[in-house]
Amino acid sequence: MYKWFAFKRILKGIFTYAIIIFVLSALFNTVTDKTVRAEIEEQVRAESSRLKNVPPAAIQRFQEQRRIDLIQLYRLDRPLLERILYQTWNSLTFNFGKSTIIKSSQGERDVLTIVGEALPRSLLLFTTATLFEIIIGIALGLKKAQKPGGSMDRITSVITMIVYGMPTFWLAMILIMFFVYNLKLFPSAGMHTVPPPEGIMYFVDLLWHMALPLLTLLLIGFWGVAYYVRNIVLGVLQDDYIMAARARGIPEHSVLFGHTLRTAAPPIMTMSILSLLASITGAIIFEGIFSWPGLGNLYWIAVQQNDIPVLMGDLTITTGIYQVGLIILDLTYGFMDPRIKVGGKA
Amino acid sequence: MSTNTTQSRLGEFWGEFSKEKSGIVGLILLALCVLVVIFEPLILPWKEVNNKWRDIDYWQDNPASAPPEWTNFFSKTKSPVTQRLTKATREEVDLEGGAKMVTYTLDYKYEADKAPLDVIFHISGTGDIPMVVSIERPDGVKVDLFQRFEQGLANQDIRISADNDGRNSAFAFVKQYESEEALEAYSSSSLRTTDLLFNTAQQGMARQFKPLKGTYKLIAQAMIMDPANMDIKDPYVVVTGSVSGLLGTDDSKRDLASGLIAGMKWALLIGFLTSVVSVVIGVLYGIITAYFGGRVDSVMMFIFQIVNSIPVLPVLIVISAVFKPNIYMLILVMVLFFWTGSVMTVRSMALQIKEETYIEAAKALGAKNGRIIFRHMVPLLIPYSFASMALSVPSAIVYESSVSLLGLGDATIVTWGQILHDAMQGAAVLKGLWWWIVPPGLLIAIMGMMFAFIGFSMDKILHPKLQTR
Repeated sequence: MYKWFAFKRILKGIFTYAIIIFVLSALFNTVTDKTVRAEIEEQVRAESSRLKNVPPAAIQRFQEQRRIDLIQLYRLDRPLLERILYQTWNSLTFNFGKSTIIKSSQGERDVLTIVGEALPRSLLLFTTATLFEIIIGIALGLKKAQKPGGSMDRITSVITMIVYGMPTFWLAMILIMFFVYNLKLFPSAGMHTVPPPEGIMYFVDLLWHMALPLLTLLLIGFWGVAYYVRNIVLGVLQDDYIMAARARGIPEHSVLFGHTLRTAAPPIMTMSILSLLASITGAIIFEGIFSWPGLGNLYWIAVQQNDIPVLMGDLTITTGIYQVGLIILDLTYGFMDPRIKVGGKA
Repeated sequence: MSTNTTQSRLGEFWGEFSKEKSGIVGLILLALCVLVVIFEPLILPWKEVNNKWRDIDYWQDNPASAPPEWTNFFSKTKSPVTQRLTKATREEVDLEGGAKMVTYTLDYKYEADKAPLDVIFHISGTGDIPMVVSIERPDGVKVDLFQRFEQGLANQDIRISADNDGRNSAFAFVKQYESEEALEAYSSSSLRTTDLLFNTAQQGMARQFKPLKGTYKLIAQAMIMDPANMDIKDPYVVVTGSVSGLLGTDDSKRDLASGLIAGMKWALLIGFLTSVVSVVIGVLYGIITAYFGGRVDSVMMFIFQIVNSIPVLPVLIVISAVFKPNIYMLILVMVLFFWTGSVMTVRSMALQIKEETYIEAAKALGAKNGRIIFRHMVPLLIPYSFASMALSVPSAIVYESSVSLLGLGDATIVTWGQILHDAMQGAAVLKGLWWWIVPPGLLIAIMGMMFAFIGFSMDKILHPKLQTR
């Protein structure tokens, strides 16, 4: 039964993904067309400049022929819907082609390589940050739930509300101004010193560069997690079986971690994965400010330089990660909470 | 359920809400913001900021990148404050042949430890006017800064900057006290005009600045040859200090306090419009999908899932970059993504309400679907909708400022995000121009905080399990 459920969920995810990519392709159709046309012109010019000792009339004929060939090759002469579908298919098969301006660190112009290079860097930063956020958040949330309405609960709740609408990028700017330019404690940007040091120092250097972005994410991140955990745990703590467990004389520690947290795990898990996904897809400005060479930064560079293939590739991969995350979430939900019967009709 | 019970429910809700301290604080802050927006024309230090934020001429007399005035309070050497002097005394002397000599005098009380950056004289004139602008120092020395014969003016503004136009005369003034050799060490370009004009006259004054405090008279004298058709009027002087305004200036000399006040209405508009419209759509969507169920439910939930799994910020950025939308289009695009926020909760709440007996009774009485939804289901979800609106305001504001921060905002208005964008462009972080970075973000954060106060308090009332009292 679970297999069937999983199969259905994955299929649905792929279908959703295809529709989203179709919508995005339709959205960017005019822009992609323009870019492709410019590329064709460039290619034709480059090819004809290679021809030597050929009369001008023949060159012109050759150019026109090549232009028609290429337009046919890229299907620019086909109807709009077909072009959009073609673009959708290319994106879905990760066939993004070559970038127009941006190059990978090795100097390659393959979009998949460029995006593939940026992806692990984003994952590294944001999974680390989310991990810390969740650990601190759960610890604080449990503390808050133990004495709801106590001074600690109230103070931390107010802080949660204070940071609720605080833009992360702004805090990043402030912290950079203070820690980087005033105290000169951290490097201002990037992921490594240039050139990166060898051996163990490589990781120390990486940590040093990661410290400030991590600190920024943490300072804003864990309050919300703590508040959420508190609310869920508080709800669970009022259940009868918790009272029963306490009545049986089970130590408070074990009630909290064994009974309560076990029940509260699925929603907390959902929230953690969703916040991780949101931070990966929404970190364009954050990465830009720290010049962290991840997906977000790449995306912003692509927008600025009008590099549509990279833009489309980045967007497709980002959306893909988001979809995969949602699928994983649904698939693991059953493991986390045995009460949820997956597979059968709900 | 009649309107009376809806009202009493809302009254009950308010009764609970008024016990929440943080909620009341949020409401008070919100009221303050609304007051600022209403009285904006009175509060604004620079009245035309809304139209002229990107007009370089409008800001030309301000200092660039100057800290706020109140930083003087913390520093030992007091910087001169940017001032606009408008109180002028007019004297007229009749000359032979019907001509008049008109003299305007303005007083400037100079008490800072540093010289102002510039003294800029403005006057509007009509006709052909020979005029002299001079400055009379507290020690009685009068320096003629500038003389010119302005021709063919038609009520035009004449702008005379001491720093540019008075450079030569200020240098001539210093020559009386400094030997040629001493002066040769300093080329005229390395000395600022005002450093000389506000300096104590003595040997060595080119080398060090010792402020001569007291009242300086700024005098404009013009000969009006044909008083019937020619005149000068409305003089004012801007003393460009090295500190300026309530919150300083940016590197294009704009007064930041004015920009921030002007941005408040946009932040509120963006937040309100986006959240209200998207929550209304989301709540109705949730109710409809729950109420009809079956195939309607599956189709609507599928659409919901698709919209919900599109990453908002990247798409928002690309749409802004490609279509360059104005602020209302941007709000519309945000609504297209934001409405999903409340759907799931509303759907599960509506599923419960749907099973209530009074809904069944209404159906049995032959009530139409629309009536059941709007008269019996929507009122129950109003408190939740308010909480949801309040909590989605901050993210709408942050999204707009993110788009603006990237320089893709509506260029016809001033928003806090755009000010932050300019700060990034102007390398304010690197230069440590904190008064350019801290206030806009702080305002966004405070606005987010106040809506969080309101929203969280409502949320607490809606989930009695979470109550601690």
